Amino acid sequence: MVLAWVLLLAGVSQAAALDGVIIIVNKSVTVDSISVVALKDIYIGRTTYWPDGQSVDIAVMDDQITDKTDTALEEISGMDTSHFKTFWQRIVFSGRGQQPDRIGNAPSLVAFVASNKGAIAIVPADADLKGVKKLEVK
Amino acid sequence: MKTMKDKTIKRLAVVLVLAAITGARLQAADLKLFGTNGPPVDFHGFVSQGFLYSSSYNYLGDSSRGSFKFTEAGLNASFNPLPRTRIAAQAFTYDVDDAGQYDLVLDYALVEYTFNDYFGVRAGRIRRPQGIYNDIQDVDVARTFVLLPQGIYDARWRDFYVSLDGGEFFGTIPLKQAGSLSYEFYGGMINPSLDGGAALEIRDSLPASGHLDSIDSAEEFGGQLWWNTPVDGLRFGAAGGVVPVFNFDTTIQIPGGSIRPNNRTEAVFQQYSGEYFWKAWTFQTELFFKDYYPEAAGMADMHSLTWYASAAYRFNKWFEAGGYYTEYYGDTSQPDNSLLYQKDAALALRFDATDWWIFKIEGHYIRGTGLLQENPANPVQNDKGWWLIAVKTTFSF
Repeated sequence: MVLAWVLLLAGVSQAAALDGVIIIVNKSVTVDSISVVALKDIYIGRTTYWPDGQSVDIAVMDDQITDKTDTALEEISGMDTSHFKTFWQRIVFSGRGQQPDRIGNAPSLVAFVASNKGAIAIVPADADLKGVKKLEVK
Repeated sequence: MKTMKDKTIKRLAVVLVLAAITGARLQAADLKLFGTNGPPVDFHGFVSQGFLYSSSYNYLGDSSRGSFKFTEAGLNASFNPLPRTRIAAQAFTYDVDDAGQYDLVLDYALVEYTFNDYFGVRAGRIRRPQGIYNDIQDVDVARTFVLLPQGIYDARWRDFYVSLDGGEFFGTIPLKQAGSLSYEFYGGMINPSLDGGAALEIRDSLPASGHLDSIDSAEEFGGQLWWNTPVDGLRFGAAGGVVPVFNFDTTIQIPGGSIRPNNRTEAVFQQYSGEYFWKAWTFQTELFFKDYYPEAAGMADMHSLTWYASAAYRFNKWFEAGGYYTEYYGDTSQPDNSLLYQKDAALALRFDATDWWIFKIEGHYIRGTGLLQENPANPVQNDKGWWLIAVKTTFSF
């Protein structure tokens, strides 16, 4: 019973963290929806390929402490922005993966996702989604 | 033997070239080396320059007079040519104490195929997983401290510990409510260098009439497990490795001739780790056992142990501070012999000036001399405490 409440609260917490943001992907990505668990696996490097074998290309916005995307990234990955950066530096310099691309602002981030196969990003909910696909989070 | 002028010129060249590259802020997405329809190539690199000063002894260089012999630089590239396939390589050069000497090495060069999240394979020259930092111990940007606990992550020993030629399989197994289990199992050949830390330690152990002639490549097998617990940021690890036959050839002059001892040894490693990222805090602790079993009759087994505990706190995007305490025992049968232990309390401050430039300053209070490995430069050793200041700057992209 206690475990059920913990899991329920975790789900509520994660859903709340995604308020104000949406997940976008390049139109080459064949999935239309994703679970919170699967989303986390992407952002912590456990899932590095989409089901069709295309590599996952994570893009994040440069540090903006008060930005909702930072909060969402923290909730999804379980790491604050500093730990997230260090985590991925460990991966790339040990030869075990590729570092997320850092983009300066939301319009540029959307443009990056639109032009890079396999790309995924968290953007503000009011971003112009021209050229990208929105991923439903289950 | 490279001249001081050669080394200085090389040091400046490395710093200037990579600082220029860093300043240019190369972006991986811009490097469509295989044409606009080809896979992009992702480039990253770093160059670090450190300075050491010690109140006593010469440690990791001529530190008693101040030493800049603490340079590391790397450049890597990675791309995905086919579905589920990645090719990556990194060139590396370093000069720490008398190890490295700016030799350019292929740090890793691998092909990786990921069948799914649970199973993948890598082959080529790979970085060996062991503990939190073994495969990234020379990557200054990925940690708070200038010097990692040297009993585990000796900056001079990277040729022995960091890479091997072979392969590994890896993956992550979900454990439902219990989190997940990440694994890596590897096998291959290590190629210790005559300019590396193993060679330094061997020479240090020889009598004045002894000479290290060669070090053989050796097979190594092992693995690393990480339990990623259901608590975000908390994980526990266990690693083990074995080098069934580590051999090096030495010649010792004796009256009337010379002898060539049997140096064949089995080496076994175990490492246990805990790490917790909690808000702006990072907590880490590790325990490392290293055991040598010489083949020659009459040679005693050697057992060493190192442990440490550390904490770091990031105040904001510019400043992070941390500290650790570590104990190294080169021979666990003689825990009170200061020539064989080294106990170190460290405090560090890291400043991230920009995304691509960091600066660190760190102080150590050390007791014991078990890790000096430089008997000629340290003819008198005792159990009095001594200080070490380390400063380092790194450019990265």
